[in-house]
Amino acid sequence: MERRRPAGIGMGTHSRWLTAAVLAVAMFAFGLGVYHAAGYLKAGKPALQRPSETSAPALPGVMYLAQAGALYRFRRGSFSQVTSESGWTQPTVSPDGGTLVVVKRHGDWSDLYLMTTTGRTIAQLTHNYSAQVESNHWAFYPRFSPDGSELFYDYDNKDPSNSYRVDLAIFASPSNPASQSSLQWTYPNPYTGGDVIPFPLAGGGLIYTRYSIDDQSKLHSQIWLQDRAGSQGVALTNPALDCGQAAISSDQKHIAMVCTRGQVQAADLVVAPFDEANLTLGAPQTLASGLVASPSFSPDAHTIAYLAPVVAGGPFQLWTVSASGTPSPTALTSTLDLDSTSAPAWTAA
Amino acid sequence: MPRASIIAAGFLFAGLVGLGAYFFPLFRTAASATASSGTVAGAVSDSISNLNPIDVAPSRPFTVLLLGSDDDSKFPADRLNTQSMILLRVDPGSKQATMLSIPRDLWVPIPNQGMGKISTAYQLGGPQGAIAAVESNFKVHIDDYVWIGLNGLVKLIDHLGGVDILVTNPVMDDFYPSDLSSTGNAYDYYRVAVLPGATHLDGVHALEYVRSRHGDLRGDFARSERQQQVLLALKAQASHLNIADLPALAGAFNGEIKTSIGLDRLRQLISVSSNFDAANVNQVVLLPPYTSDGYAAGQDVVFPDWSTILPLVHQSFP
Repeated sequence: MERRRPAGIGMGTHSRWLTAAVLAVAMFAFGLGVYHAAGYLKAGKPALQRPSETSAPALPGVMYLAQAGALYRFRRGSFSQVTSESGWTQPTVSPDGGTLVVVKRHGDWSDLYLMTTTGRTIAQLTHNYSAQVESNHWAFYPRFSPDGSELFYDYDNKDPSNSYRVDLAIFASPSNPASQSSLQWTYPNPYTGGDVIPFPLAGGGLIYTRYSIDDQSKLHSQIWLQDRAGSQGVALTNPALDCGQAAISSDQKHIAMVCTRGQVQAADLVVAPFDEANLTLGAPQTLASGLVASPSFSPDAHTIAYLAPVVAGGPFQLWTVSASGTPSPTALTSTLDLDSTSAPAWTAA
Repeated sequence: MPRASIIAAGFLFAGLVGLGAYFFPLFRTAASATASSGTVAGAVSDSISNLNPIDVAPSRPFTVLLLGSDDDSKFPADRLNTQSMILLRVDPGSKQATMLSIPRDLWVPIPNQGMGKISTAYQLGGPQGAIAAVESNFKVHIDDYVWIGLNGLVKLIDHLGGVDILVTNPVMDDFYPSDLSSTGNAYDYYRVAVLPGATHLDGVHALEYVRSRHGDLRGDFARSERQQQVLLALKAQASHLNIADLPALAGAFNGEIKTSIGLDRLRQLISVSSNFDAANVNQVVLLPPYTSDGYAAGQDVVFPDWSTILPLVHQSFP
């Protein structure tokens, strides 16, 4: 008589093993899930984009901005990349809007380049490289004079008797790239870092940021005005306001600037009427506060663009505010990491 | 035991293993911190059992000595000076804090060493030596210390996603030490130009900002101000953190940060930091007339004027 194996015993064992295996896999997956879920609780870091991967509300004219060593053009609400990511920063546009002068920054030195608005290099304007580290030079903050004939910029002249002294001074050269001449406009207070961010005026004067250290060892920055190269100049702002990064409206009737008023990690973006005839500034109006940087007037002088984080501690974004104060500031981007030491170059062309 | 309970226990065990694996770098760092400090073992071991976000912030004021050393290959690991010493007092009740930078060249009596620059106290006595030198000279009580090396600061800032700094003036230096890398000549140098204005700095550039001193008339004092400024920026960044960020932070340092602060207090500090506004942080740098430059034992030093320093310290660190 055939002995039949009880039906279900073998199947039951298999079934239990299968159930146990499924449960084991499920438990492993659950443990893995808990591991990853804990990671999701971490404070989120913003996902950053290249400007050309995003868009923003349209502004009148054309704006050039820098991010991660590349230059971008912002026009009609979209960004397009002008140069590769290779140290480009601080663009300035010629008055006719046809050419740019841009800083190319390397490890130990930087140079100025004349280029087309599409990023093709026309000429290298400075040659600051040296094989010996301390013999290299910096060139920063280029800006055309209003008639386009001259180019103002920062340069670190060496002090032969004090090798530790590295102060930026403002120079001017003819904008013709064939020219070899240059004229030193400012003589900075020693060991302050120097005079920075030149803004030449239509009347021939120059506005810039000047630093000083008082007899209490306190550092101050002021908006300074010189009428000619080498002159002593006058302060437009009080040392206690600690103002810098001046930008002048196209009609030269207003100055936008960043003032810290002695604060350590906060500043105000202010605008003040400028009386060039009497060398005075009117009452300043605060337009924005926080870590604001690098203001720039629109071509029609109605709007000011500047750079600031959207979230505390975050990367810098493009903002605009009416020069009259209303409407209030608006962040145009939220996912960029703009170079905040590179002011937007805003032109009508 | 009912089958359902066994299955539930299995899932619970798997979840705990997953959680343990995630927080493992934190446990390992806590253990090494305990071993190296030997002062707060209880605080660390107590805290491991409870990693939930903290609800209760400390109300009692406490003082922490922040120490920073150049720990590059120019210096043997056991012969480090402290290039930066900052005394930090936090009063959670009043939401006030004070940072006092101690000049590294301050010429003081160092316990068991004799007269010397206060920066050398760490070299022979370690953290306890530095604490003893500060406590005995400044007449303050120090609850905890944090020591950080060059790469530790870079990693810390990078893990926080960088810091936003309002650079006061161009920080220019033609002889900045090229010593972060373990390869190459530690005595090489390169040029630094940190341009003025608000900016977002990664770890390397933030280190350049706090470490450079050659191009500023105020030398080490300007550097002290910048160090305090970066601490404020770090505080702002740390206020975004939560407990889930700590394992990644702890795992990254590998000895680049040493502290006597246990996990409990670390979590309390993170909790407290979000309540502080930078405007409520009093910053003190011992510029003249509190100190004066001088020469002692064949070296440039900074002489303290204790008659002016101690009243200031007692006011800020009662």
